[in-house]
Amino acid sequence: MRIILNIEKVFDMQEEVILKVEKLNKTFGGLKATDNVNYEMINGELSAIIGPNGAGKSTFFNLLTGYHAVDSGKVFFKGRDITNWPPYKITRLGITRAFQVSNIYPALTTYENMRQAILAQQKKTLNFFTPAERLAKKETSDLLEITGLSQHANMTAGNLSQGDKKRLELAIALGSKPELLFLDEPTAGMSGEETHETMKLVKRLNKEMDLTILFTEHDMSVVFGYARRLTVLHQGAVIAGGTPEEVRANETAQKVYLGEEA
Amino acid sequence: MKKYWWLGLIFIGALILPLVVGEFWVHVAVEILILGLFAVSFNMIFGYMGQLSFGHAAYYGVGAYATGLLMVKASVPLPICLAASMIAAGICALIFGYFCVRLTGIYFAILTLAFGQLMYYIIFQWYSFTGGDDGLQGIIPPDLLFGATSYYYFTLLIVTAALIVMWYISKSPFGYTMRAIRENADRTRFLGINVRRYMLINFIIAGMFAGLAGGLLGPFNRSVAPDLCNWHQSGVPVFMTVIGGPLGFFGPMIGSVIFTFLMAFVTGFTEYWPLTIGLIIIFVVLFMPGGVLGLVEERVEVFRSKGLKARANNSKY
Repeated sequence: MRIILNIEKVFDMQEEVILKVEKLNKTFGGLKATDNVNYEMINGELSAIIGPNGAGKSTFFNLLTGYHAVDSGKVFFKGRDITNWPPYKITRLGITRAFQVSNIYPALTTYENMRQAILAQQKKTLNFFTPAERLAKKETSDLLEITGLSQHANMTAGNLSQGDKKRLELAIALGSKPELLFLDEPTAGMSGEETHETMKLVKRLNKEMDLTILFTEHDMSVVFGYARRLTVLHQGAVIAGGTPEEVRANETAQKVYLGEEA
Repeated sequence: MKKYWWLGLIFIGALILPLVVGEFWVHVAVEILILGLFAVSFNMIFGYMGQLSFGHAAYYGVGAYATGLLMVKASVPLPICLAASMIAAGICALIFGYFCVRLTGIYFAILTLAFGQLMYYIIFQWYSFTGGDDGLQGIIPPDLLFGATSYYYFTLLIVTAALIVMWYISKSPFGYTMRAIRENADRTRFLGINVRRYMLINFIIAGMFAGLAGGLLGPFNRSVAPDLCNWHQSGVPVFMTVIGGPLGFFGPMIGSVIFTFLMAFVTGFTEYWPLTIGLIIIFVVLFMPGGVLGLVEERVEVFRSKGLKARANNSKY
């Protein structure tokens, strides 16, 4: 486990490119959802993609994780071309995501939700004869503990509060033990306090678990408080990028996005 | 295990049943077991995987014909015939399922129905091999199992063993992966699971146990007929599962007890059996959406499993 004490050091440590996106394009019925996007992430980054609603943030994630097929362009994970791979293969390679609208198993308990992710990660899902309740006990409890869901373990997940559903969404994504994690608006629907807690957790995961994280967000305070590098999307295209300070100072970015919100 | 004392009671009841009822009801009990196994195997696709198969009789029929043909044409011993039934039905499910699992919802139901009818017409038309419309006659069980009571015990043994295997599968990580696919196939893909492959494996397992049920039927009826593959027959496990409840493992078996017993009872004094069962289905769908098992679990503390009520409320059926 690599512990980063100084945030500024991130960029000159092990400059391994974990994600590389080249000239990515996607059109939905004439609408350019992703417009010639180039993007790169270094191992250990915690970065954000911002942009107004409809800017193409979710589509970008959908293309990277195999949820949608790309029209043209390439996606590389640690130098390996993963363009248009099916989601299950991409997940097995070490990339996973949490969805904007929580995407959980509503009729299973919180514990069963969590366990399912861990059993899949441990490749135990083709076990036909050991009762599932005897497997992955420790790992499941541990992750529920880390994400603050222990007290709801036996609750039917569909009955959790919105905030807890999003937390479970994140917990399930972590259950896949990814190296690269995409979080699509991880705090949408959360109260101010919950938002803060969740982002602190995200920061901790990034630092302590050597997890490279890319998230989208529309809440400005969240973005500037936690991301070390920002990329601004507008109508599917990258229009600005850099440290939070640089983006704040960027005129184009201010015009299309910051001006509207701030 | 304390929770399952009632299963032990039911099994003991099943053991002493032939001692307390006449031969007619022993015959009915054999049919309850065979159709119950058929329905439980169907529910692996319907209840656990969340897809409605409307052609499950294909595998039941293939199993019945496999045992029938091997016994009539080659005098193969019954246990080997039953294993062959499972394999034949499994291969059939592999071929049909390969296409079916590419679809979900109504399209899945229609395609399974189409394949079921395809199997029916193959058996119906292939006169030289299957006997066509005449079916196969003279499927005589071995001497030891010739009587109604002995065949009942044999069936009870096989069905119980099959149920135990399916019960374990339903509780295993694979079983939970089926629930996960039912609840949210997309999320399951993003856990690194090849959803189609898992659906196909489940489809094959369900087909194999339907084949086993079919294999048990031939020697019991002394004959098999192409109607075993027809869509009427595919409707039977659907009715049983709806009556008994799709959300519990034993729901379809309870449905089989109710359905088969009522059929034997009602046809004794009226020819309006389809009308009767139709009214029962309407009643169940309108007033007991979780089936009999759902109602019992809701009302009786002992049977209540955590999350079941929410499950019934959230369920898509």
